[in-house]
Order: sequence, then C-alpha cells, then structure tokens
Amino acid sequence: MLSRTAENLFWSARYIERADSLARLLEVGYRISLIPNTEAGYNNEWESILETSGMKNEYLKKYKNISKEQIIFYLLFDLENPSSVKNCITSARENIRMVRTAVTLEVWNAINTSFHELDKNMKDTKNILKELPEIIEWIKKQVNLIRGTILNTQLINDGYDFLILGTYFERADFTARIINVKYFILLPSINYVGSDIDNFQWSLMLRSISSFRAFQWAYGGQEITYIKILDFLILNMTCPRSLIFSVEKIHHHLDRLTKFYKQTSTSKKKIRSIYKKLKNLNANRISDIGLHEFLKSFIEEINFVYKKFEQKYFFGLET
Amino acid sequence: MYNEVYKNLKVRKFYDKIYDWAKSLPENIIVKKKNEAENLFKKIGITFSVYNNFDSTERLIPFDMFPRIISGTEWKKIKNGVVQRALAINAFLNDIYNSGEIVKAKIIPENLIYKNPAYEIKMVGFKVPKRIYSPIIGSDIIRVDEKIFKVLEDNCRTPSGVSYMIENREIMMRMFPELFEKLKIETVENYPHYLLDVLKSLAPKKCNKEPKVVILTPGSLNSAYYEHSFLADLMGVELVQGTDLFVDESITYMKTTRGPEKVDIIYRRIDDRFIDPISFDSSSLIGIPGLFDSYKSDNVNICSAPGSGIADDKAIYSYLPEIIKFYLGEEPILENVKTWRCYKDDERKYVLNNLNKLVVKEVHGSGGYGLMIGSKSSKKQIENFRKKILLNPENYIAQPILELSSVPIFDKNRLSPRHVDLRPFCLVGANKTKLVNGGLTRVALKEGSLIVNSSQGGGVKDTWVLNE
Amino acid sequence: MKIKISHATTYKYNSIVPKIIQSLKLYPSICYNQEIIEWNTASSSGKIIESHIDSLGHRVQNIFINNFSGQLKISSKGILKTKNLSGVVKGLKERVNPICFLRGTDLTKPCKRIKRISKEVEKKNTDQIDLAHKLNLVVSNSIEYVSGSTTISTSSEEALKQKKGVCQDFAHILITAARLNKLPARYVNGFLLEETNSGENTTHAWVEIFIKDLGWVAFDPSHKKCIDEKYIRVSTGFDFLDASTIKGVKTNYEGNEILESKVSINHCQ
Repeated sequence: MLSRTAENLFWSARYIERADSLARLLEVGYRISLIPNTEAGYNNEWESILETSGMKNEYLKKYKNISKEQIIFYLLFDLENPSSVKNCITSARENIRMVRTAVTLEVWNAINTSFHELDKNMKDTKNILKELPEIIEWIKKQVNLIRGTILNTQLINDGYDFLILGTYFERADFTARIINVKYFILLPSINYVGSDIDNFQWSLMLRSISSFRAFQWAYGGQEITYIKILDFLILNMTCPRSLIFSVEKIHHHLDRLTKFYKQTSTSKKKIRSIYKKLKNLNANRISDIGLHEFLKSFIEEINFVYKKFEQKYFFGLET
Repeated sequence: MYNEVYKNLKVRKFYDKIYDWAKSLPENIIVKKKNEAENLFKKIGITFSVYNNFDSTERLIPFDMFPRIISGTEWKKIKNGVVQRALAINAFLNDIYNSGEIVKAKIIPENLIYKNPAYEIKMVGFKVPKRIYSPIIGSDIIRVDEKIFKVLEDNCRTPSGVSYMIENREIMMRMFPELFEKLKIETVENYPHYLLDVLKSLAPKKCNKEPKVVILTPGSLNSAYYEHSFLADLMGVELVQGTDLFVDESITYMKTTRGPEKVDIIYRRIDDRFIDPISFDSSSLIGIPGLFDSYKSDNVNICSAPGSGIADDKAIYSYLPEIIKFYLGEEPILENVKTWRCYKDDERKYVLNNLNKLVVKEVHGSGGYGLMIGSKSSKKQIENFRKKILLNPENYIAQPILELSSVPIFDKNRLSPRHVDLRPFCLVGANKTKLVNGGLTRVALKEGSLIVNSSQGGGVKDTWVLNE
Repeated sequence: MKIKISHATTYKYNSIVPKIIQSLKLYPSICYNQEIIEWNTASSSGKIIESHIDSLGHRVQNIFINNFSGQLKISSKGILKTKNLSGVVKGLKERVNPICFLRGTDLTKPCKRIKRISKEVEKKNTDQIDLAHKLNLVVSNSIEYVSGSTTISTSSEEALKQKKGVCQDFAHILITAARLNKLPARYVNGFLLEETNSGENTTHAWVEIFIKDLGWVAFDPSHKKCIDEKYIRVSTGFDFLDASTIKGVKTNYEGNEILESKVSINHCQ
C-alpha cells in the first residue's frame, strides 16, 4: 500500500478517536454543571477539562477568560482550534477523501455523512449549553457508526491495521494524559489524596472515559481507591481504555504488519517490551515509582514507538 | 436553435417514451427524486471545487434527471468522427515532434507550431512509447440541426468529466430502474476497464513485466480530484501525488509500506510544467525531481506526453480538417465550427469588424475562461478584447455565436429547454481505439445561457445512446 | 588548436541533505568546430548515470545521492581539438526547428530599452548576417562589463537599466534584440581560452543566431566578435536558466549550500 495511504488511514482513525475523547470529556463537564455547587466549583472543573484536552494555552491565547459556553464552543466547533471536534471530523474526512480507494464505500459514507451533518448542526455559543447533550450523543453515535462500519466492512488487511493503530495510539496518549492531568490539577495539595474530594474527582475521571460502570463491575462495587483506579486505568486488560489494553492492541497490529510484509521493525520490538513491562507491574509499584514519573516515561516510550513506526511505514526511512 | 425533443410541437420518436414518463411524474415525486439524487451524489462524494472561490471550495455539481438521448445512427457518426480525430491528432503530434512533414508540405504555417509555447522542444526527436502522445481525448460536440454535429474543441491533455458520465448513469439506474426496461440503452460502465487496458498497452521500452499503472493527481484540492480518485478506484490502481513518487538511478518508484515499488505508466492529471522541477518549472512543489529524465531514458511513460497540449491550441484546431486529410487521407466525418484566425490579416480584419457577432477565444483558454461572447458583452468589454487582439493576434481566434441545441431540464416542476453539448471520451492505445457508447452531456442551467462549463453554472445529464 | 580543460563545481552543505538529484549537461557539443579527444565527468559521491541525448544534442547524465553531508564535487575535464569556422557552427546533432528560438523567456523579454537599441541599427539593404553583426556591435556597447554586477536571475531589461553586467547579461541582451528582429537566437554555455596573468579562468557564455543561408552563427557580444578556435561549446537553451549545465533539486533540505566553481583552460601542444 502507498505510504501516504497508510498515513491517511492512520490519521483519519486517530482524529475520529480524538473527537470521541473530546465528546466524553465534555460529557463530564455537562454532568458537573447539573450538580449544583460542587466543592470544586464549575469554573474549576471546566478549566480542568480544558487542561485535559491539552488545549488550554491555545484557548487562553484567543479568549481572555474561562467561560463554560466559550470552552464548549472552543472544543466543539471553533475552526481556529485545530483539535476541535469540528476540525477533527473535517480532518478525518479529508484524510479519507485523499485515499477514497482504500476504504469501502460504507466507511466513506459514514465519515462523509458525519461531516455534512455536523456542518448543518454547528451551533453558536448562545445555545450551546442547552444543546450539548444532544450534540455529545450525536458525536458518540457517529463515532460508533464509523468504527462499526470499519469493523464490519473493511478487508482485514494492512490498511485495517493502520486504521486500528490510529485509534489506539490516540487512546493510549489520551488516557495517559487524562490520568496525568487529573492527578495534578485536582490535587494541588498532598493532603487531599484519599479524601472525599479526591474520590469524587476520580469518579468523574472514570466517567470521562466512560468506565464508571465498568469499574464498578470489575471491582465488585467496592469503594473507589487510588490504587484500584491506577490498576483499572493502567493495568486492567478488560478495560478498553486502560493503557495496557491500547498497548496490547498496538502490539498486535504492529506484529501483524511485520508478518504481512515479512519484515522486522524496531517499533514492534519496542512495543513488545513495553507490553511485557506493563504485564509485570502492579498498581502499588506504580505508586512507589511515582505516578507522574511513570506516565512521563510511558508517554515518551509510546512516542518513540510512534516515531519508529512513522519512519518505517510513512517515510520509508527504515528498511 | 435546434430542439432535440420537439419538432413542430410534436415530440420526436426517440424521446416519446421519456417524455411521457417525465410528464407523468407528479410534482411531489420530482421534488422527492431531486432530493434523493442530491443525497446519492453527496454520499458518493461528487463535489466540484471551483477555482477562485475560497468560501465554498466544495459544491455539488447540479444534476438534471431528464436524460439526453442520442439515436444509434446518430451515435455511429459521432463515434466514427471522434475516433478519426483522435487518430489524426496523435499522428499530427508524432509528426511535428519528429520530421514535421505537415509543415514542410505548407499545410500549417511553421510559426503556428514552432513559435507556440505549447510546442515542447524537449520532446523533439523523442520516440514516445507506441507513438501515442494523447491516449485520452475528450472532444466537445454540439448539435446544430437534424443532421449536423460539429466539434467545438478537442481536449488532448487531461480532459475531465468522465466520472460524471459514469456516476450519472449509476444515479439514474438507482432512481428509475423502470426506464431501463423501457428503452435499450448502451452501457458506459466499461470505461475504466478500457482506460486501464489502453494505458497498459503503452508501456515504456524498458518495462519487461506486467506494467504498473498509477494516476498522478495534484492533490485533493484540485477541482477534478474526485474524478482522479474515482478512476483509480474503478481501475484498481494507486492514486499518487508527487510526494509519493521518487526517482532513483533513473527508475521511478512509489513509496509503499512494503518499500519502494517500480512504476511504469503514469496517467498524469497535472500540467506539463509541474511534472518535474528539474526539467520544467523549478518552483513546482507537486512535481517529481528527475521524472523527465527517467521518462526520456525509457524507464517510465507519462500519459499524456508532455507537449501534447499543442493539439489543444484553438488555432491548430482550425486546421483539423486538413490534418485529418493529410495523415489519414480521409474526409472529416464531423465538421469543425467556422473559425477565424486572428494572426491572418484578412481574417483578423473581419473579426475586428464583427466583434459583436462573434465569440472570441484565447487559443489556450479552457473551462469557459478567456473568451468573449460579442452579443452578450458591453461596449467596454468588446473594446478591451479589440485591444488584446491587436496587441497579440496569434493568441486569438473567433467563431460565430453558436446556437447550441436544447434539451429540457426539470426546472422546479415543469420541463424547460436548456442548451447542451456532448463530450465523448476516445481512448487511443497501441494499435487500438476504444470508446464507450456514451459521453458527458453538459447543460447550461441558466435560461438562454450558452456556457455549459461546470465552473460557470453548468450542470450535467445522463446521456443515453440507444441500442437499436 | 588543442585545448585542455578542467572544470569543477563544488557544493558544500552544513547539514545532512536527505536526497540530491542532479541533471548534468557537461559534455562538449559534437560539431565540426570541435573534436573531443578525451572527456570525462566525475562526481566525488554517488554514481553518474547516463540518461539520454536530448533534443538539442546534449548528453544528459544524472546523479542520485541519499543522506549526503559534506562536500560534493562534480568535475569534468578533457582535451579538445578546435577549428575556426568564422563563427558558423556546423554539424550540430539536433532536430529542433530554429524558429522555436524566436520565443521569449522571462530573462529575455523585449523592453523599451532593447527596442531603442534595435532602432539604432540601420536595417535598409541589410541582409540577416549583416544585421546580426550590427546587433552584436550595439549590444557590446550597450552595457559595461563589470564582474559581479548582476546575479543569475538578472534579466536583459534589468542589466540594461543598470548599464552594466557580465557575459550572461551581454548574451541575454543580444538574444532579446535578435528575436525582436525576427532572428532566432539562443544562449550558449562554454569555455573561452583567454591569456590571463593569474592563470585563473571562468566559464563563458555567448549567443547563437540563426541565419537562413548559414545556419547557427555564434556571436560573443562581450568581446564584440564571432567565436573562433578558442571557444568550446558545451550547452545551449532559450536563456541562461534553460542552458545551465547542472540542474538539481535537494528534497527536504533546510540547511544552506555554498557553491564554488573552478576552471582551468590551457592551450596544449
């Protein structure tokens, strides 16, 4: 397959996953705005959502103050925000449009229809809060539709691997980021660790990756603790948004690629070692190392895998 | 003006079934079907980005559901005429880039060719694979009366629109399957297969395996990008951009996830000057450095050949009847439109005295740009063109203002006549020519308008060649 | 006359160049005016690959180098035997119709000043060759030779405006003037054997004008004459850019490039 095709497929799936993550993040914000007078206060929470999205600095360059309507608009529709849902969907479509020949008509239709419908449903800041639940539902539905169409109609060939890799590189990055940001932003003082506020925030975080229920199931409705959350979000293979889950997927598909092309690759070797390392870890050990340290090195290692992967398959530099 | 559907208020034979059908459609059905068609197009992704219009880089190309019908007998003549022109054009290109017999025979003035910037001197003496310079020719044909079809121009470089020909049919078959039972209509779906076959027959000298064909596009912002991707899909070949290709040790490769893969035939949809920043425009960002040397060392074929554009020149077009006679020894089957060449003193004089009655065109203009319709222009515009002609006579030709024939469209919910033309696509390979029985009918959607170009408010119709 | 030439172009790069592709036209032309006794081209890195003989008779070669850093030296050297044919270039192996060289280019666009110069020339009772000689003379006097006064992208109009230039500018002005007078004209790159004190030489450029009865005749407006046995013809084209002997592209390179050129031209026994 053409290197650029692989790159376009990868990024298209990656943008779709990003739109999905943003929608889930906004859902948390919306939930909070329904609970009157929480400890942390609205603005603080919206600010942290902005922070988690990784777009706070860019936002503050454009808008002076933190306003929820403004933030929602910025994350959903702002054309000047390269990672707004609107721009993610546009980029996903643009990437697929460039490789129309590499996806089925159904996949193209799913993405193209999402693009056109989103175009029609753009909202301004005035009505945005009222419409938010509907918009979030719509985004999640579209993403599921697109992903389902990929699963059901694409040939399971190398192109499929690049699509799936886009999803999981993004998800690994997003989950790592959300844990990191939540940890730091919400716990300005060490005294809060283990307090009620803490639990409340952690449960919000679980919701933001749509894993609150899953957590309850996995740990039999026990009290939420720091260690359990770490285990769940980092090391639990049954949680589709845990780091180890994404790493396992990346490993699986990189492995498939090397077999498919009958070549070896540095990226595959590296992801295998990351996977093995995670498998042998436990949450207490991560807590000992220091969560921040752990996440920092995890993000760096995934980036290294990505760089090697990109060089080999997109730029043709590693043979 | 020739009305293709009515004759003396009576519907012509070929159109009677369609006409009855159209008349029988209730108003709400027409509206419903129109929406349905629009949705189908959107889903399939037919879009058309218009140059110089940054606000709406994408819009749907308007499609009208009333089909345009051509009888089997009429088509036979058009087909033979188009093939004849395509063969003559390739013979002409081969001649002027080699011995130049037609110039020596004083049939075409030497200045018209050798001074012409479209004549690419880098191609002189080069043996193009199988002597085919322009494998895809789209001729624009207009109907003037019951019997006569004329050719308005021949597009020899990278004619576009063929995807609409195929899609229009697809849409009509999905929406009105019953019509295809009533009438025997020739299929057009073989086009991509024919195109691949023709391109594969044009492998370069140093290719000794099954040739690898790719389509080279300027990118997704190009107005015809949809078509490039559509054709690649149906032909089962890669759609590449300049950055996907590279040249190493004179061989052209494409970058793949498996590593470099050799490319043999490039169906390029980019202009000559952008092909290679070393041999042509050095500022080209979409070209492939070293491609032209790879081509000239027989390692890859570029279709159409660089320099084919000279045959698109409208002054050269005016010599096409002579070109046909010279190379094929035949009388032209399709007529040319009367053309005055402004570089000739007497013809220029006539043009300048009759500007309000003529269409003046730049010899290299296309897409409905660079022309002036005398009857629809202000005094100022006319004077402007007069100055241009006087300043640079070689750059202009003039033609009478033609009354294109008309076919009705569904205008809101009634039928209303609009002007149309027809572009069939003729394929020329090694020892073979191929032409699907059909073409693209373009229609000027504005009442009375004669400009059918989609970039200027034109639409399209499905074209039915009847199998009688 | 036997002439020995050695010519080297050196490129220096301050960081890694991912990909270099070059197209070379470094072989002296094959014609009756000069006979190649020996000639070689070499590159300090990468292989030189024969491509094709182009429509103007140039032997085109390519160099392809990946991930290059440091210095790249492209050299050509050899010995030629030349004849003085009074400026007429005979026996060229090319198939391009001379009329093509009536077309203008960005560097050779007619301007008011050129038209004025052209008017100075008496055209009554003048045949083509006389006209060409006269044009060569007025062009020779139109600007002053000042080395380093112009750049590679200076047009004939700009050179005339500043009233100075180098051989390239003289050539562009003559080409523009000749085409204005309906004489096909083109740019020629080559070497000129000059007796210099320092022993240093440079490459040279002049003009060929097509005369109906004679064919291509070579004029050197920088020296007010036609070429003789001291001239070696290498490449030709519409103008300086088109005729350049080395054309190349570096992909994805953001560093800088320093170019040096060295020529030695000697009379040999």
